[in-house]
Amino acid sequence: MTTTRLTRYDRSMLRLMNDRRCQAWYATAARRRLAVAAHITLTVAIGALMTHFFLAEGEPLWPVAAMAVLLLPWMVATGIINGATRGLLELREHVLDERQSAERSRVLARAHRMTTLLLAATAVALLITGGVDGNAPKAYAAPLLIAVLVVHWVMPLWVAGLRAEDEPADDEMLEAGASRRA
Amino acid sequence: MSEQVHNRLAMVRAERKVSRQSLAEAVGAHYQTIGYIERGQYNPSLDLALKISKFFDLPVEALFSLEPFRPLTDKVYGRNQP
Repeated sequence: MTTTRLTRYDRSMLRLMNDRRCQAWYATAARRRLAVAAHITLTVAIGALMTHFFLAEGEPLWPVAAMAVLLLPWMVATGIINGATRGLLELREHVLDERQSAERSRVLARAHRMTTLLLAATAVALLITGGVDGNAPKAYAAPLLIAVLVVHWVMPLWVAGLRAEDEPADDEMLEAGASRRA
Repeated sequence: MSEQVHNRLAMVRAERKVSRQSLAEAVGAHYQTIGYIERGQYNPSLDLALKISKFFDLPVEALFSLEPFRPLTDKVYGRNQP
């Protein structure tokens, strides 16, 4: 970390991502998995609403309102995962230390492999539906493309959230001692 | 590539009453990284290992080793290993 001088933005992001006030929300693997599951569910729900909005006749407004409502918990879930990973994907490279940089590379590599598989599966599904119903690829290509793009964008966050590990055991005694000395 | 590097970091850090946070700040690492090194879940680079050794003013082999460390009491009181 910190061989390059940190900007004010870097320092504020570093503080934000290492804020321990909400630590209880992602303290255990089960809670982190729950946050990732909630994030995936909300992403799928928002995507489905967006697809409905574009494909439905007359472009009804209720899906837009529902999306706006779901965006808030989606942002909270994003914040929980970012907190669990200590901003692994949000902080700039020179803010991370060597372990975090290596972990970010591993996360991005794994997410890349998964989205490659997803893209391949989507292409195969489109080809098969095209074989059955000639118009299907044309109708579903745009929403599917957007869905895959969104998944490609958030997959690293999901992978990072699932790979995050528990905090090392407390250092409270030493920290209390240090604050007493200060 | 997954050679286990043994270390005495937790013991030395406790002995010197240095918190993870202050050690991490001194060597330019994240406090979690110090914890992962102590738990043997992460092997530091040579650069980081040397910085940690310098911080404690100890030779690097006093803190890190490819062989498991003998308990310090055995060393001090001369008990032979079984």
